Amino acid sequence: MTGMLASVRSNWTRSKWITLVAWVAVGLVLLALPQQFPSFRVEQFCAWMALAVGACGLNLLTGYNGQISVGHGALYGVGAYTTAILITKAHWPMLAAAVAAAVVSFIFGVVIGLPALRIKGLYLALVTLAVATLFPLVIEQFPQLTGGSGGLAITSPRLYRGALRDKPIIFEPPTSALAEDQWKYYIFLAVTVVCFVLTRNLVRSRMGRSLVAIRDNEVAAEVSGVPVATVKILTFGISSGLAGIGGAMFALNNARVSPSSFTIVTSIYFLVAVVTGGAASIVGPAIGAVLYGVFIDVVSPELPERLKPASPVLLGVLLIVLMLTAPGGIVGIFRTMQGRLAARRLRSVSDNPPDAAVSAAT
Amino acid sequence: MTSTTWKRLAPLAIAIALLAAACGGREDSGTSSSSSTTEGATGAFIDPAKDCDNYQGTQGIAGDTIKVGTIRPASGPYAIYDQVTTGLDSYFKAQNAKGGIKAGDGKSYKVELIKEDDGYDPARTPQVAKKLVEQDKVFALVGVIGTENNKAIREYMNDNCVPNLALATGSPEWGKANEFPWYVSALPSYATEANAWATYLKTAKPNAKIALLFQDDDFGKSYETALKKAITGTDLKIVGEQSFNPLSGSTTEAAVTQLSQSGADTFIVGIGGTPCPKTLSFVPDTWKPTTIISVTCASKTALSLAGGKDQGVIVAQATLDPADAADAATEQVKTFFAEGATAGLSKDQMEGGIVSVGWGFGALFDKALAATKTVDRAGVVNGLFQFDNNVFGLIRPDVEVTTDNAKDPWLIEGFRIAERTGTGWTEKSPMANENGKSNSYAG
Repeated sequence: MTGMLASVRSNWTRSKWITLVAWVAVGLVLLALPQQFPSFRVEQFCAWMALAVGACGLNLLTGYNGQISVGHGALYGVGAYTTAILITKAHWPMLAAAVAAAVVSFIFGVVIGLPALRIKGLYLALVTLAVATLFPLVIEQFPQLTGGSGGLAITSPRLYRGALRDKPIIFEPPTSALAEDQWKYYIFLAVTVVCFVLTRNLVRSRMGRSLVAIRDNEVAAEVSGVPVATVKILTFGISSGLAGIGGAMFALNNARVSPSSFTIVTSIYFLVAVVTGGAASIVGPAIGAVLYGVFIDVVSPELPERLKPASPVLLGVLLIVLMLTAPGGIVGIFRTMQGRLAARRLRSVSDNPPDAAVSAAT
Repeated sequence: MTSTTWKRLAPLAIAIALLAAACGGREDSGTSSSSSTTEGATGAFIDPAKDCDNYQGTQGIAGDTIKVGTIRPASGPYAIYDQVTTGLDSYFKAQNAKGGIKAGDGKSYKVELIKEDDGYDPARTPQVAKKLVEQDKVFALVGVIGTENNKAIREYMNDNCVPNLALATGSPEWGKANEFPWYVSALPSYATEANAWATYLKTAKPNAKIALLFQDDDFGKSYETALKKAITGTDLKIVGEQSFNPLSGSTTEAAVTQLSQSGADTFIVGIGGTPCPKTLSFVPDTWKPTTIISVTCASKTALSLAGGKDQGVIVAQATLDPADAADAATEQVKTFFAEGATAGLSKDQMEGGIVSVGWGFGALFDKALAATKTVDRAGVVNGLFQFDNNVFGLIRPDVEVTTDNAKDPWLIEGFRIAERTGTGWTEKSPMANENGKSNSYAG
């Protein structure tokens, strides 16, 4: 018996060690990426991070809290437009504009979330669908502020060849060792990591348990003393705030916003990212966003000329195959494997005499 | 007990996948291709020594091959524009097969075209443009589609002194040659087109009561602004006005019905794409206005969608229509048919009116190369800005393609007014050139 315990303990410490190495490796790769790729590719990585942060927000709402939103493209757009307008029209610094974008999106999210108290499931999806559809049309109604259908270039006055001109914003690197796109990448990476870590902490907190309880059984949660209304609205707000940060990153990355970037299709991209990565897991949406980005920006341009118009079909087929084989997404695949392996190890430990298990472990 | 090696391995697997993806390595940006000297000829519009920080004049030229890039939607709802790029590609294929394009320096260059897809999303255009310039190291961009898409990369192209030629858009924005010298549009300004409509109406129908339907974006609003400017002080009146948002997913039917009740006797359709011919099909049989349509929908392909209601519509034309019997007899169209066939274009494609537009873009690049003695980036743009009656592609032979050293940045400023008859056109008013006036027609 002691042998079995020893084997489990040594196994546990070993796997913990592997985790540490693995995360360090991921971290090193993420830090090395902008040194390895040309600037256009680095800017695509930045776009993927913006998508990942937005998807992280949607995952909190849909994956953990069970509320379906098809409107996160609009909240992403609120974040992007808030950033663009504050920088271009009010000359705010980038960071302050991004923080304001998160706050404004949070407020929008709370307002959109109010109907969610009474409306559930597919009906809630329809309400958010309306928001997603209306957003680009509303943006076009205020051309003075938003640039209308033509979009808005995010500019700040800068000295250019001797004259002060409105030039697209750039991320001025602190040292000449870093190119502008590399500096932007590192800032985005830091913001992304912070967003994901905060989400992880939130999910593991008391509020996180409330979220899941409401998703699994709202009545039971209420009986157990969870303030359902507050938690639901707050979740909608936080989720939207994250989408807003993603939108701010999107806007800063492109130095331009236009309504066509925030149509219903964008909302669907978020759902795709959450579902392919794995709903209700922290890193799932990031994996999903990266996979989606790889498909759109890396695989799709390499397709033979004849297949290019069919790339959305190809994406659809891949999604169907993924959902059939791994309904839990990429993270789901890992979870299944991990479950099988655990079961096998349990069996082998209980089948074999303890001594054999010890010798096998060493 | 619950934690297992598998779970722990997950991040490692991601790391390996990322590492595998990280092959390639960033190229040292310091390796500059030999920068050549441009003729210091006085009067040249662009002087790279003064206007550019890190001028890479001959990037993309290797031996007798010039590498150029283009960006267009190959996927998504606007994938129809891919046919423009097919035309562009075919032009280069046809010339390459004949031994290449003869440039002003006496050499013949073969053109290699690299096509990229931005799905018509201006948020993606900068990435693909940077990919073309920084990774594929193209000489220039040619025939990039979409007003917003071209706007999204304007500062980038300008700052890096990379030409963006034969823009597939006629937004009045492209008239700012002094501010953005590396941008040259291959289409007439939408404002000039709207002005041509008004000029025609002033003589043909001086008391016209106009119902105006325009697309709710830069394209449609260019028409709206220019038309309103052109009719001030005349007896032409706008009695009904509707805008249409192509993003809304609806049709123009309700707007057309409303306009038909406005008492107008003239109907101006400032709409592009398939909604334009569809609009014609919505006109009720009880309303018989003089209908003027955007030149962007005056092609055989587009008008075949009008449900037979294209007869009698009026358009301001600057190009020959390969599907028109009279135009098909011209040398320009005959050459197009012959050379297009060698590049693998079918008769249907060539008559459709979309492929031929892209063909013209290729021809413009050809003319620009022929017009410069120094084949480098500044030389080609300076060559373009020294055009003197230099008709290209399927531009009507009586259009004066003159740029007057960038004082007149618009290549095409002449229109004739024609009426749809059968599958061709009847001239209502002859070619009128408005050289150097395009910018003044815009709002």
